This record gives sequence, structure tokens and C-alpha cells, in this order.
Amino acid sequence: MMKSADKKRKKESKKCEFEFCKVCNLNHDHGNRHKYFPNHTKSLSTFLHRFQTKLSDIRFFLRNPTILRPELASRNRFWCVVCDAEVDEIGSSFACANAINHLASADHAKKLKHFLWKYGGGMDHADNFRFSEADLAKWEKKCHSLNDGSSSCSDRTNGLQIGPSNDIQNELSYKSINDFENNNLGPLTPKFLNNVLPLQYNTHKYQISQSGHPATAADGRIVCGDFEHIGWQNSQHCIPHTDAVGTSNFGNGGLYQGKHMAIGGSNLHGKNLDLMVIFSGLASIAQVSVMAPGLAEGNVHTGAPPPWLEMTVEHHPEDTSVPLSSKKGKSKLNPKRVGAAWAEKRKAELEMEKRGEIVNSDCGPNWLPNFGRVWQSGSRKESLKEFESEKPELPKVEVDPEMPITLRPYVSKRMVRLCSLWPLKMISFR
Amino acid sequence: MSYLLPNLTKKKQVDSIIRDTIDKVLVLRFGRASDALCLQLDDILSKSAREVSKFATVAVVDIDSEDVQVYVKYFDITLVPSSVFFFNAHHMKMDSGTADHTKWVGAFHTKQDFIDVVEESGWMGTFVGKPGR
Repeated sequence: MMKSADKKRKKESKKCEFEFCKVCNLNHDHGNRHKYFPNHTKSLSTFLHRFQTKLSDIRFFLRNPTILRPELASRNRFWCVVCDAEVDEIGSSFACANAINHLASADHAKKLKHFLWKYGGGMDHADNFRFSEADLAKWEKKCHSLNDGSSSCSDRTNGLQIGPSNDIQNELSYKSINDFENNNLGPLTPKFLNNVLPLQYNTHKYQISQSGHPATAADGRIVCGDFEHIGWQNSQHCIPHTDAVGTSNFGNGGLYQGKHMAIGGSNLHGKNLDLMVIFSGLASIAQVSVMAPGLAEGNVHTGAPPPWLEMTVEHHPEDTSVPLSSKKGKSKLNPKRVGAAWAEKRKAELEMEKRGEIVNSDCGPNWLPNFGRVWQSGSRKESLKEFESEKPELPKVEVDPEMPITLRPYVSKRMVRLCSLWPLKMISFR
Repeated sequence: MSYLLPNLTKKKQVDSIIRDTIDKVLVLRFGRASDALCLQLDDILSKSAREVSKFATVAVVDIDSEDVQVYVKYFDITLVPSSVFFFNAHHMKMDSGTADHTKWVGAFHTKQDFIDVVEESGWMGTFVGKPGR
């Protein structure tokens, strides 16, 4: 009996200890039983589902490492709900690098186990919320190979300007800036020729596969800045988009579109090309049609007028003599708008005045517009009549104020009658 | 701020602006430049005038001018500032939250409030075809 009472007391004392459940986001005194409550299990499933969606995004970058641009690093943050810690990507060179390292760390694994023990969820599912060492090793390998690829590409493209210095899409793709007009082809040519494969496409077509150097062509498609092989669809490496060598070695080679190039600047002699861009793992294919040299002149960046404006000027050259407002007024304005008739009449009068003709207008010195007064009854024209009728009354009041006003006390009619009868009564009494 | 807007001191000027503003909302502010609330309203009017210039014209009328007293009496301007709206020389009434629908009494809090009121007035005049009541 005593033992059961002691047990009860212990349970009651345990009940008193409140703790916070971050899954349900509430304080409870249920103790360890809380994790078996149905509300908690529901909350836990949504909680873990949300965490898993975030992890799936990071898992994508685990399988496909991509280089992270420094300006975007500050935007990437990951909150680990298990460790209650924020992981940012400042200083990391690959997307989600710090997050991947955190999720593969032993500390995270330990805290994950504690989390699953405390809140439930099953220890079997622990692997879903962390990365194994094998995954981490594979990712690191891929990163190394990416690094090697980019460094070799940058060596080759040392003599070429990969993009204008303020081109934000190409900042990662170049390390040195050269004058592109000089077309210093020396460093690139020999190595490039060594790796040439038989061309599978026309000289003006290239296949580029995406690697870690995204850049944007003039028409907005993503092209790559790293090159090693031509015609290899599944390559992880890309053709250097500033390949001025291509102009000499490959006839129409080069990755330019029109005069303006997002990559090489407008100094290049623009070569219009068809480009095939294939992203490995993604289904994005864009083909740029060859533009005639005349049409390629001028775009948004060079300040040329947009084509639809040019078209309107071409189509309507005869309307310049006619005032547009009157034409538009007739066609666009509602004929039932307020004062439509008056507006048309007034426009005609103004035109006559412009021509120098005398207009018989009703605008005298006493003209007033129609005004809807507060206590107006009837049409607004009557308000004008009312006002004009009120006007003559005002001068009458103004004349009198000079007369002295005598103040008299109020005498009622009764008193007046009595006063008038009072002398008669006095006489009758006598 | 009234120096940025056309300042009307004579009846003729008021007449001509009412008659010559065609297919646009005309906003006439009746007030005086020395009044604080008028200054606040003038600030908003001057800043918004350009934005509404395609469909509205804004002008200020000095109520202390003798020539304009007939308009002050006609429009029953007793509180300052008061803004009267016209469209094609027709007076536009609006519900400003008070019993007096003939004019807008007081200032606006923001530019957008004024622009909304002018747009509403223009909409009523142009598309609905009613001067309000």
C-alpha cells in the first residue's frame, strides 16, 4: 500500500514538471507520455515532413554539387530543427556545403538520436534526416573534380576576357580581364586543339552541357563558361563562352548572339549562331534562330526603341497633323459622360477661337457654373437661380446697420392688451 | 506650396479654368496660404498634381481675395480648406464622410488618398456619367 502511494506521489510530482514540446509548440506536464498522444504524433509527422522537404533540397545539391557565387552565399541559410542551430553558407564555395557538412557531422547524428528518443518518430528513420559518411565522401570527390575542372578552364582562358567586368553572370567564370579586342588566342589554341574530337554538328552549332559555371547568353538562356570537349553531350564541362578562338578555328565558332553579348561584350564582331544548350539532368533545350544582321542591331541594352513603338510610328504617320486628343476623345470617351454635350460644344468654341473667329459665348462677368447645394431641391440649374435671387437681398441688409438699434424688453401680447385696457378699468373703478 | 499650383485670385481666372478644363477632373482648393491645414493640403496637392495630370487639373483659390467672394458664397465655403470637384464644368458631389457632399473639407492624410478621390470622381464623371449626389 505504501509502495503504491509512493508511486502515485512520484507520478504526481512528475506531472508538475512542465516542459516545452517544440513539435507541438506547447508547454505540457505529461512527461514522457506526451510523445504517444495522438495530437503530438500528428504534429510530429508534419514537423518532420517539413524538415524532410528542406533536406531533399540539400540532398539535390549533395548529388549535384554546384558552385556557389559569393553574392548569393549570404542568402542561403538552413535552420536545423534537431540541433536548433542556423547554418549559413558564408565562406562556402559550393551550394549548401556547410549544411551538408553539418548534416553529416557526428554532433548532428547524436542530437538527432536524442530528438527522436524525446519526441518519438522511430530510430529507424534516423538516416532520413542525416547524411552518411559515404554520401559526404562522394560529394567531396565531385567538388574536387569540379574545382579541378574550373581551375584548368581558367588557365586556358587567362588570355581572354570572359565577360565585361560588371557582368554579374560571369563573375565566377573569370579570374583575369583582358582586352577582348586584342583576341589573345595563344594560351587557348594549343590545348584546345589537343582535345578536339570529330565534329558531330555543323560548325555554327555547339552542344553545351551545364557545369558549375552558369552564365547567360544574350537571349537569356544559361550557357556555361567552362570547356573541355566539343560534341560530348553528357560532359560535365562546358565550352568557354568567350571562345574567340572559335572564330578562327571553327569558322563561325563562338557563342555570340547578335552584336550584344552578355559574355563577350559588344566589341566582338557579332556572329549570329544557333546554339543548342542541354542541361545535364534538366530538360531545358533552347534554340536560338539565326537573325539577319540588320535586325540584330540594337536591343534593350544598347538603348534601341522597342519594336512595337517603331511599328506604331510606321503605321500611323498621317495622324501627326490631326490633334490626337480630339481623335482619341471622340473614339475613347464615353458619350454619356458628365457634361459630354457641353464638352463638345466647348471644344468647338476653342477651335474657333484658335482660328481667330469670334465666338458668341455666354460667359459674362456674372457667369457661374451649375452647383449642387447642400439643401438643394430640384436640378442644379435652380441652385444658380436661387443664388441669384438671394443676392439682391444682401444689399438691403447692409444699408440699415448705420441706424441705431434700440433695445426694448419683450412684452407679450397679453400684457399689451392689458396695458391698453388698464386706463379704461381705472376709469370704471372711479 | 501653393506657388507650385495655379493660384487663382480673380473670378475670371476661376471661370476660365472651369470652362477650359475639358474631359478632366478639376479640383479647386479654397483656402488661404497662411492656414496650417491648407498648407498640409497644398503639400499633398502639389506632390500629386503631376501624377494625376493626365486626368485631373488642380488649382488653388485664395478665399481672402475680394473678387472671388462670389464663389465663396456660391459654394458655401465656411470651413477652410475646402476642395470642390468639377468635371466638364459640372459640379461633382461625393461622400466625404460628412453630411456635406458638395465639397471635400479638410486635408488628406496621404497622396494616395487624394489620388483615390480624384480617380473616383473621374470614374463617376467619365464612365458612370453621373455627377454624384
